[in-house]
Amino acid sequence: MNQLLEIKDFSVTYVNKSKKVYAVKNVNLKINKGDSLGIVGESGSGKSTLAMALLRLLPEKNTQITGKANFIGKDLVQLNQKELKNIRWNELAVVFQKSMNALSPVHRIGPQIEDIYRVHKPNASKEEIFSRITYLLRLVNLSERVYTLYPHELSGGMLQRVSIAISLVHNPKLLIMDEATTALDVVTQGQILDEIVKMEQTLDVTRIMITHDISVVAASCNKIAVMYAGEFMEIGYVKDVLKNPKHPYTRGLLSSFPSLKGEKLKLTGISGYLPNLSVKQEGCIFAPRCQQATEKCKQEKPLGVEMNENTVWCHLYSSGGELINEDQKPVYKD
Amino acid sequence: MKKYVTRRVFMGLLTIFVVFTINFIIIRLAPGDPISTIMGKDNDDPILRTALEEKYGFDKPMITQYAIYLKNALTGDLGISIIYNKEVMAMITERIVPTLLLVLTAAILAVIIGTLMGMYAAKNEGSKIDVIFSGAAYIFNSMPAFWLGLILIIIFSSVLGLLPSYGMINTRDAHTGFDYILDVIVHMVLPVCTLVLVEIPIYFRIAKSSILQVTNEDFIVTLRATGMSERKIFNKYILRNAILPTITIFGISLAYLITGVALIETVFAWPGTGSLMLTAINQRDYPTLMGIYLIMSISVAVVMVLVDIVYATFDPRIRF
Repeated sequence: MNQLLEIKDFSVTYVNKSKKVYAVKNVNLKINKGDSLGIVGESGSGKSTLAMALLRLLPEKNTQITGKANFIGKDLVQLNQKELKNIRWNELAVVFQKSMNALSPVHRIGPQIEDIYRVHKPNASKEEIFSRITYLLRLVNLSERVYTLYPHELSGGMLQRVSIAISLVHNPKLLIMDEATTALDVVTQGQILDEIVKMEQTLDVTRIMITHDISVVAASCNKIAVMYAGEFMEIGYVKDVLKNPKHPYTRGLLSSFPSLKGEKLKLTGISGYLPNLSVKQEGCIFAPRCQQATEKCKQEKPLGVEMNENTVWCHLYSSGGELINEDQKPVYKD
Repeated sequence: MKKYVTRRVFMGLLTIFVVFTINFIIIRLAPGDPISTIMGKDNDDPILRTALEEKYGFDKPMITQYAIYLKNALTGDLGISIIYNKEVMAMITERIVPTLLLVLTAAILAVIIGTLMGMYAAKNEGSKIDVIFSGAAYIFNSMPAFWLGLILIIIFSSVLGLLPSYGMINTRDAHTGFDYILDVIVHMVLPVCTLVLVEIPIYFRIAKSSILQVTNEDFIVTLRATGMSERKIFNKYILRNAILPTITIFGISLAYLITGVALIETVFAWPGTGSLMLTAINQRDYPTLMGIYLIMSISVAVVMVLVDIVYATFDPRIRF
């Protein structure tokens, strides 16, 4: 079985006294071993919520998680604290958005990593830990010196590398990177992405990369999932989706990025705003902003249409994957 | 670190010197003079006045007086009290111990109790106990300390008759050895309680808000994601980061207590520097006043330097 993670009808709802916010709604996703999946979408589309929910790091008091998330034979949604503890970092590790703050400012870096190492190997000897950590530091291109330094003595890019090294401490099967390179300048970002891709070839790790920067996905992932307002619009191989986007939203998203090559075109955006996520909406969530929306789109939720291992959730396509109406070839005009 | 400590100590010494100088000037700028107090209201004999002024050195220009005083102070001689006609140094050494005993006991108790309460409230945020603690903190924080002292005296001394209301020892029944210590402790209960009750809310709120803030920091989320136990995260990572503001507040508050305890000492007739200072102010007893201010500024400077050093050992970011 090659499948590492399968998410089925996964929903995350934030609840407070006065209202519910449906942050992630009935998403379905499969990740195979060795994949690197980039989840893209605008701010507030539920990318980080999805990741945090998978890691079960959201406060249980005010969040409801439903659905299934089968991760190597265990359902992440149903695990109790003890089982969760065993899975965390051993199998499932994460690198967060703001790695600048990912370490305690008043403890030296080395001992912090030691503590993390000891969570799952409490009896590890000091030499064993040290050699493991220095190996990882070298892997992310840092000198051993970092071990005895405090976080404030490193630059943002170095701290990011430390975070990545920490996430690899126990050889996790799945690594979630939540905007892990967003705060960095493009040069450092490029270097780190290269290192990540190289690392994956040596370590057997599957990666989910959450970002709003499509170029990051293009540079470092083989699959892409486009998310909008808590739902997936399109999932598929990067080479297919970026070259030939099927969903009107993906088209809109891609046309808001400038291209390096070719004719200089005016950038177009998608008019309108994200819908209010505290109101349940009938039909396709993107319909109000979609220029090709029909009556059907406003009333009925589209089902996933499979097209050579890619999936798109749009009424423009028949279940076989062909355009239902040739005139409605997805386009995006201002 | 060594460089940092040296610099802090040097800054402390400089502070003392500046405070010393400002005090010298301010006291002499204030209206009234000690000679009139000694001579009495109705007596205005110019010969006596000149003689007294000469005796205490007030006839010399202020800058000369300052030089002489500074020179003597450096050798530990703070002059002779104009009102009591005793050596100022001896008077202060006799009284600084009770003051420090009172202040340090209260400050340490308050920081421990307040921080523990804050920790508990932060861990159980929104619980009934948190609400009670926070409410009580507001009430006690807004109470004037001397008034609280009086109320405690009314309740525990006048009505219940459980505790002595004034002094440090029972003068009618002199004790020795262990009984003496016990006697002092019994006398300390009310003044210490007053100070502690007023100080607790400060530490309570600082600890609570600081813990809540650190709990939401990204590195805590990361540590949770690693599967580290909540207890270890709290004891090692949250506390160490959350304790920093408490250290700062402890320094400020202790310095404030050393100088501000005078009112409480008056309420409880505690034989500390506070009551000595208040009489010295009223009677313009320059040498005594200067002496007390000097000792206080030294105490405050020492506390500040110590707090700075403690802070630096806890927070690597400020060891510059």
